[in-house]
Amino acid sequence: MDALASLAQGFSVAMTPTNLLFVLIGVTLGQLIGALPGIGPSAGMALLLPVTFGLDPVTALVMLSGIMYGGMYGGTLTSVLVNVPGEAASVMTAVDGNQLARQGRAGQALAASAIGSFLAGIGAVTALVFLTPALSAFALGFSAPEYFLLALLGITATASMGTGSAVKAMIGATLGLMIALVGTDPIQGTSRLTFGSLELLEGVDFLPVAIGVFGIAEILVSMEQTQASAAVRTRLRDMWLTRKDWVECRMAMLRGGVIGFVIGLMPGAGPTVAALLAYVVEKKASPHPEKFGHGALDGVAAAESANNSAAHGAMVPMLALGIPGSASTAVLLAALVLLGIRPGPMLLTEQADLVWGLIASMFIGNVILLIMNLPLAPLFASVLRIPYSYLVPGILIVSLVGAYAISLSLFNVGLTLFFGMVGYLMIRADIPRAPLVLAVVLAPLMESSLRQSLMLSEGSAAIFVQRPLSAVLALLVIGSLALPLFNFMLARRAARRAGVAEALSHSSD
Amino acid sequence: MKATNFIIAAVLFGLSALALLGTWGLPYWADFAPGSAFAPFWVAAIGLVLAIALLVTTLADDGHEPHSFPDRRGIVRVAALTAGLWLMVLLIPLVGFMTAAIAFSLFLLLGIERRPLVPSLLTTAVVSGLVYGVFIAWLGIALPTGPFGL
Repeated sequence: MDALASLAQGFSVAMTPTNLLFVLIGVTLGQLIGALPGIGPSAGMALLLPVTFGLDPVTALVMLSGIMYGGMYGGTLTSVLVNVPGEAASVMTAVDGNQLARQGRAGQALAASAIGSFLAGIGAVTALVFLTPALSAFALGFSAPEYFLLALLGITATASMGTGSAVKAMIGATLGLMIALVGTDPIQGTSRLTFGSLELLEGVDFLPVAIGVFGIAEILVSMEQTQASAAVRTRLRDMWLTRKDWVECRMAMLRGGVIGFVIGLMPGAGPTVAALLAYVVEKKASPHPEKFGHGALDGVAAAESANNSAAHGAMVPMLALGIPGSASTAVLLAALVLLGIRPGPMLLTEQADLVWGLIASMFIGNVILLIMNLPLAPLFASVLRIPYSYLVPGILIVSLVGAYAISLSLFNVGLTLFFGMVGYLMIRADIPRAPLVLAVVLAPLMESSLRQSLMLSEGSAAIFVQRPLSAVLALLVIGSLALPLFNFMLARRAARRAGVAEALSHSSD
Repeated sequence: MKATNFIIAAVLFGLSALALLGTWGLPYWADFAPGSAFAPFWVAAIGLVLAIALLVTTLADDGHEPHSFPDRRGIVRVAALTAGLWLMVLLIPLVGFMTAAIAFSLFLLLGIERRPLVPSLLTTAVVSGLVYGVFIAWLGIALPTGPFGL
C-alpha cells in the first residue's frame, strides 16, 4: 500500500506541465533514435545527456529514460519496414516483421509490436513499483563486501550472458577497468597512470567514453558504405489486430513480457538477450513453429514485448541498488551522478519524488508511445525516407558539443574522438562495448568497496564469504565466470558427437 | 578473424604491462590497507590472463572466420571522416566552435557523401541553428569563439 501511495505522489510529480513535456520529448526522441539504424538508445542517451544539464533532476531523468524505452518501440519500424534493426534488441523483429511486411501485413506486425510492447511495458512498470522498494529495503543491510561482489557480478554477468565470445566481453570489461584506473587514487590521493598529464588528474569522465564508444563509433561503422536501404513500400493500414491475430499473439505477449522482465533484472543480460530468448521460447511454444522466420506474428509480439519489458526491468537494480544492469541504465546512473545525486539503496528514501516521479512517468510514456506507434506510425515511418547522411553531421556535432559542455574543455572533445575510434575498432574486432561502459561506471564503487573490505578484514579475503549474503553473491560471481566455460564444453561435446555421427554415416555409405 | 584476435591479444598484453609498469612505484599495500597499486596490479593481471586466453583459444580454433573490417572504399570513407573530425577539433581554437562545425558539416556532406549543394547547405544551417539554439541560447554554454564571433 505504501508503494501505491508513493506512486500517487510520483504521478503528481510526473504530471506537472514541464515533466509531461519532457516525457513527450524523451519518448519522441527515443522513438526516432530507435527508428534510425546506426544509433541505439544508449548512444542517444549519452549524446543527449549534456542537454539535460540545465534541467531539474526529475525532468532530466524522465527525458533520458523516455529515450531508453522509446528506443525499444522505435526500433520496430525499421526492422519491419527496412529489414534493418533500428537497435540491437529489434534484431528478432526484423526476421519475421519484414517477412510480414512483404506479405502486405506490415500494419499487423507494427500493431502486434506496439500492443505487445505497451502491455509488457505497463506490466513491467507495475512490477517495478512493488519490487524496487522491497529490494531497496533488503539492500540497506549491504556493506562493503556485498557492494564489491554486486558490482563485480554486474560486470562478470554482462560478459558471460552476452551473445558473443565471453573472453572478448571480459576483455571489454578489463579495458573499462583500465580506463577507470586513470586519475587520482580515491583513497590515498596519489596520481595513477596519468603520465604527467594535468587533464588526466581528475580521471576520464564517463561521458566522453560513452559518447565515443557508443555514438561516434556507430556513426563510423555506418559510414563504411553509402546508406542505400529502402523501406518496403506498403500502405500502413489496418493498424490494429483482428480477433484471430489477438488470440495468436496474446500468450506470446505474456510469455515475452515475463521473460523480458526477468532477464532485465539480471545484471548484464539486457533487452537484446531478452528478445532472443523470448523468440526461441515462443518458437517452441507456438502451434506453428514452421512459420518462424517466414512471418510469424507471435514471434514479433514475443520479441517486442520482451525487449520493452527488459528495458523497464533493468531499472530495478539501478534504482534499488545503484547497480546498472545494461548499457542504457549505466548512462542513466551516470546522469544521476552528474546531477549530483548519490545512487544506492538510500535513493528511494532520500530522493523519493525523483524515483517515484520517474516510475510514474514510465506509465505515461508507454501510453504516449502506444499512440505514436498505432495511429501515428505512418508519420514516424516517413522519417525513414530522410537519407541517413543528412543526419550524420548533426549527430556528430551535437556529440562533440556535448563532450565540450561537460567541463568546457577541448581535451574532452579529443578524448571523445579517441574513444570513438576505440569503439569502432571494438565493433570490428567483435569486442562488445557494453561491458567496457559498465566497468567504467562500476569501477569506482568496486575499487573503494574492495579496499574498504580488505581494510576491515586486515587483508583476509574470507570477508567475502563470511556473511551468507556475500557468500551467495560470491557463488553467483563464480557461476557467471563458469557459465561460458560450461557452454564452451557443451558446444565442444556437441561438435564431437556431430563429428562421430557424420563419420558413422560416411562409413555406412 | 585470427589475425584480428592476435592483434587484440598483443594490444591487451601491452596495456596490461603499461598499467603494471605505470604504477610500479606506488605501494601495493600501505600500512593496514590496500595501496594505490593494488587495483592496477589485479586489473593488469586479469588483462594478461585474458590476453593469453584469447591467444590460446585462437590458436586452438581451426575455423576460418573472415575479419569484419570493411573494404578499401569503406576504410577510405571512415578515415576521411575521422580526419575531418580531428581537423575540426584542431580548428576550434583558431576559428571558433560554430565555424569549425559548419566547415566540418559541409566537408562531410559535399566532400565525403557527395550530396547536392542546396540540401547540404540547408542541413548545415539547421544543425548550426539547433546547436546555437539549444547549447548557446538555452543552456548558456560558452562555446569557443573565433574571429567571426561564432
